Amino acid sequence: MTDFTLNGSGVSVEADPDTPLLWILRERMGLTGTKFGCGIGACGACTVHLDGQAVPSCSIPLSVAEGAEVTTIEGLSEGGLHPVQEAWIEIDVPQCGYCQTGQIMATAAMLAQVPEPTDEDIDSYLAGNICRCGVYPRIRAAAKRAAELSRT
Amino acid sequence: MTQTTRRTFLAGSAATLGVLSVPIRLPAQEVTQPSAPGAYLRIGADNSVTCILPTCEMGQGTHTGQAQILAEELGADWQTIRIEMPVQPGPDYRLPFGQMRSVGSYGIRHWHDPMRRAAAQMRMMLIEAGASRLGVPADELSAVGGAIVHAAYGQAIPFGELVEAASALPVPADPVLRPEEERTLTGRTVPRLDTRVKVTGEAVFSMDVTLPDMAYGAVRMAPVFGSDVAAMNADSVRGMPGVIEVVQVPRGAVVVGESWWQAKQAADALDITFTETENDGLDTPAMEAEIQAALDRADVPMTLERGDLDGAFAGAAQVVEADYAVPMLAHVCMEPINCTAQATDDRVELWTGTQGHDWIRMGLERALGVTADQLIINTAYLGGGFGRKTWENEAIQAVMASRAVGGRPVKVIWAREDDVQQGLYRQTMQIRFRAGLSEDGRITAMRVRMAGPQMGAAIVRDNNMDPFSLLGLINIAYDIPNYALDHAVVPIPVPLSPWRSIAESFNGYFVESFIDELADAAGQDPLAFRLANLPAESRARPVLERVAEMADWSGAAPEGVSRGISVVESYNSYVAQVVEVTMEGERVRVPRVHAAIDCGRAINPGQVETQVQGSVIEALGAALRVKISLAGGRTEQTNFTDYPILRIDEAPQIDVAIVETGAPLGGVGEPGVPPLAGALCNAVFAATGQRIRSLPLADHGLA
Repeated sequence: MTDFTLNGSGVSVEADPDTPLLWILRERMGLTGTKFGCGIGACGACTVHLDGQAVPSCSIPLSVAEGAEVTTIEGLSEGGLHPVQEAWIEIDVPQCGYCQTGQIMATAAMLAQVPEPTDEDIDSYLAGNICRCGVYPRIRAAAKRAAELSRT
Repeated sequence: MTQTTRRTFLAGSAATLGVLSVPIRLPAQEVTQPSAPGAYLRIGADNSVTCILPTCEMGQGTHTGQAQILAEELGADWQTIRIEMPVQPGPDYRLPFGQMRSVGSYGIRHWHDPMRRAAAQMRMMLIEAGASRLGVPADELSAVGGAIVHAAYGQAIPFGELVEAASALPVPADPVLRPEEERTLTGRTVPRLDTRVKVTGEAVFSMDVTLPDMAYGAVRMAPVFGSDVAAMNADSVRGMPGVIEVVQVPRGAVVVGESWWQAKQAADALDITFTETENDGLDTPAMEAEIQAALDRADVPMTLERGDLDGAFAGAAQVVEADYAVPMLAHVCMEPINCTAQATDDRVELWTGTQGHDWIRMGLERALGVTADQLIINTAYLGGGFGRKTWENEAIQAVMASRAVGGRPVKVIWAREDDVQQGLYRQTMQIRFRAGLSEDGRITAMRVRMAGPQMGAAIVRDNNMDPFSLLGLINIAYDIPNYALDHAVVPIPVPLSPWRSIAESFNGYFVESFIDELADAAGQDPLAFRLANLPAESRARPVLERVAEMADWSGAAPEGVSRGISVVESYNSYVAQVVEVTMEGERVRVPRVHAAIDCGRAINPGQVETQVQGSVIEALGAALRVKISLAGGRTEQTNFTDYPILRIDEAPQIDVAIVETGAPLGGVGEPGVPPLAGALCNAVFAATGQRIRSLPLADHGLA
């Protein structure tokens, strides 16, 4: 049994502790906002927060979540939208949208550490998140807008 | 309105209580299939406006654009319009080439006029019903914001209240479209309908479909194309945790498990061997050498020939020759290939994100005998498509897996490695150009030899005239009086699939690089040379001139910056680009790209902008450093680690201008791709003096 906090609530999961957290979230918890993209932590589609850090859940074994606080896109904001989500809507970022929840989780984690990111910060923090549709120009704009919204 | 004196038809005007429904018909269908079910527009008594249209939403924004077109003509609130996909492929949903597929940048340009017509019909019926209700002439009423409005009386009746009365009226045969001044919703940026759900995580992609009692399937497929299962020992994994069943499918096996991770562990452990084939020794260098040799072949039928080539070459002031090549590419949609099926012997229901509804229908019929009336396809959002999600393999796997576990729903998911390694690649192609120039720098003759596979072989009738190989060459944009084109076909034993912009994805690079070589040989500026050699009325001119202005082409480039230019027509749209490069040691950097597009009326300029930007990113990533190669018959690449598409830290600033010339609607999803590689390599030439005649740049040590 693995116990951890998921989006603010305690959960107990009985599963092979080697199972990647991604599949526990998607199949056992029904939280499909976290996406499968590559399975090796190379694309960022599965990004969640583990004790506040952005991590690729496809490469985090369930055992590592023991006692940790896990946040997914569904739990990013307790009520309404997170400023990053508001900025994403304002800039109308997504095309296919498949990578966007991961992009948003990575951006939210970045802003917690770097409240006023430069282009270089954004490139550095978000380089792990591939967008196959190539909406990078809008992601950059939205990340900056999210920083503004977070300050107000 | 005088409908009683007009030719009318009732087909599709639903008599169902509380629903008003009008068919959306392509011109030919009104004559040939007046009663066939097809695309239609529907208003419910609850005011909901729903449109059934056969274009999937894979990121290209088509559903939002379609909603704008419908809402504008109907007088509805665009945000209340829902675009839904039909669950059974039917003849009325087919594109001009005869299939229901979401391809060819058709979503807006193909459906625009029929959608407007249906919306106008519906608006006129609602107005007629409103006129009866209010006892006023129809011409005193208008349709605004989802209601029939009498401005002078200050009355507004919501559409839903008029649905029942309107559905009893005939559908007007000659609807009157709104005049230009009332077209205020198209030509304007509105936010996408699907943004919010994609930002909250609520959007249900194919991968996210969840059904009661659903099991999961992982695949193990033959690593060599043409190979099939030689022997399989299902018992080798039956005892593994969560494993439910092992199902042999064409070219491999699906392991069905209680979770995908468990199924995947078992699929990897499965004791399975594959047949030897003649492709086991296939290597990319040998394949490319065979294609290269075909550039010299003498037995190739001429595809296209005009003028007097020999005479023109004899009289040319100079003759320029060059060969170019591109590698195979993978699509690597962000959402890996997947399909969910619930299937019994006589009924198949699929949940999937597909661009290829009719291809799935035909594939299931061919492979498993599933008839069209037994098949339901529920279309979810696609996490990207790019031409890859038009095929039936995963649907066959899911149906066989579900049947093998007693009709329990099974979601088959390919790992990224399966996606990268199981083919359906953009083709590898090579080309040889020979051109004659006059003293004053006009192209007087051009001889073009294409060599490589013929992706469109199934539709080729005469002289190897294959649009999937030759578009951009058949219709070369330049004014070349003496011109000849042929295609030395070299089949390759690799499954191919159109890759965003298909033949233009390489012909744009080939032609626009070679044109640059000609400009250099003529001693002319690349822009001036293009303008001098384009027909006077060419739509390439306004976009070229605009992009030159954006990039200040006539001015000096900023210190350390080199520039390249190109222009390509595809899908009836013209896109010109200027790529700016800097050299960081041996490495090419691309800080900025300028693009100008003429796609006719831009229905949603913001979406046109982001589609062009995304196309530039996609084409730039491909040109810099990705390719698919085979060794020993097996694909060498595995995942994003060795198929490194562009990440945000290399994304340039991309400025997009929309140039409207009054041209008919063109496509938007694809035309931004073709110009990029040519403009990029022309900029590299400006920077280094080196002509890049094959992609990717990484093969030349430049990326």
